[in-house]
Amino acid sequence: MPVDLLIPILMLLVLCAAAWKRLPMYDLFVEGAKSGLRTAVQILPNLAAMLCAIQLMQSSGLMDALCGLCAPLLQKTGLPAQTAPLVLIRPLSGSGALAMLKDLLDRYGADSRAGLIACTLMGSNETIFYTVCVYMSAVGQKNTGYAIPCSLLGALAGVWLAGMLF
Amino acid sequence: MIHHIWFIMIASSVVYGCVHGAGGQLLEAALLGSGKALSLTVELCGGYLFFCGLMEIAKASGAQRGLQRLLSPLLQKLMPHVQTPEARGAIALNLAMNVLGMGNAATPMGLEAMRRMDTERALHPPVKHDMEMLLILNATSLQLLPTTVLTLRAAAGSANVNAILLPTIACTALSTLTGVAAGLVCRRWEERKHAG
Repeated sequence: MPVDLLIPILMLLVLCAAAWKRLPMYDLFVEGAKSGLRTAVQILPNLAAMLCAIQLMQSSGLMDALCGLCAPLLQKTGLPAQTAPLVLIRPLSGSGALAMLKDLLDRYGADSRAGLIACTLMGSNETIFYTVCVYMSAVGQKNTGYAIPCSLLGALAGVWLAGMLF
Repeated sequence: MIHHIWFIMIASSVVYGCVHGAGGQLLEAALLGSGKALSLTVELCGGYLFFCGLMEIAKASGAQRGLQRLLSPLLQKLMPHVQTPEARGAIALNLAMNVLGMGNAATPMGLEAMRRMDTERALHPPVKHDMEMLLILNATSLQLLPTTVLTLRAAAGSANVNAILLPTIACTALSTLTGVAAGLVCRRWEERKHAG
């Protein structure tokens, strides 16, 4: 499949460009990997908080109740009910969505329809509310104007397309 | 905000569980969930280490500068009011980093761009619309390669890890285009309201 070649070719291109420019690519990789490790360690406590809450939702039966409640609404957009919690938390919390996706893949499998759609949703959306909050707080403003509704509309279009594609 | 979400998630679970007779399993669930963070981090490490390493090489090879140059004419169209080169540079760098998936490094640059635009806005109020556009671009996800999702799929034993690659790119493109189009409509509307 040609799409399988996308990342390998990208790897080759990056390394060839670095070789052409005679860059110390081994050192660069190690340097970058260091920052990746820092990120992974930094988000661990956040993931713990979120996975704890998600596991509680599951064990208490709330998660299934919530999925059942959202199912008729999601069916109209063509999405499986299992993706409801992910759709809800995606714009609010990045680590929450990540934990939710992990949970979903564990339960339904990465190649199930719900798994494929959940992966596409996760990869093609952003934590809208969090992002806008952080950026607005940098300039000390509370009024976000039309940025949030416009971004939500965009996310909705992406969610709709994800449902159509699988 | 995250405090409210977390509180609602846990409080409603505890109440729901107790009412439905699952109260005895809640402590076990809380411990199990928190513990899972470690295995999830281990799963993510492969992707984080590899892609951050690769992107560092790409950055040094000039991928970021190339993208910045590529994006500049487009930005001129989307954000016509910002004038200072410092603000324009920060915006282009923020977006280029986002496209390459360096979200963590992109945020400080984005905040820098917002601060510079805010200074300009004091003299030239329409810069507000350019700030809204930067927010929309950042909030509708520009990242082309969903590296974290690919890592999780591989860890979950997917038979076809790459199956989501093209759909994800298509959905990202559609969501960004829709968000930007909506933003342009809002801008036109507010400007007209202001003029009339």
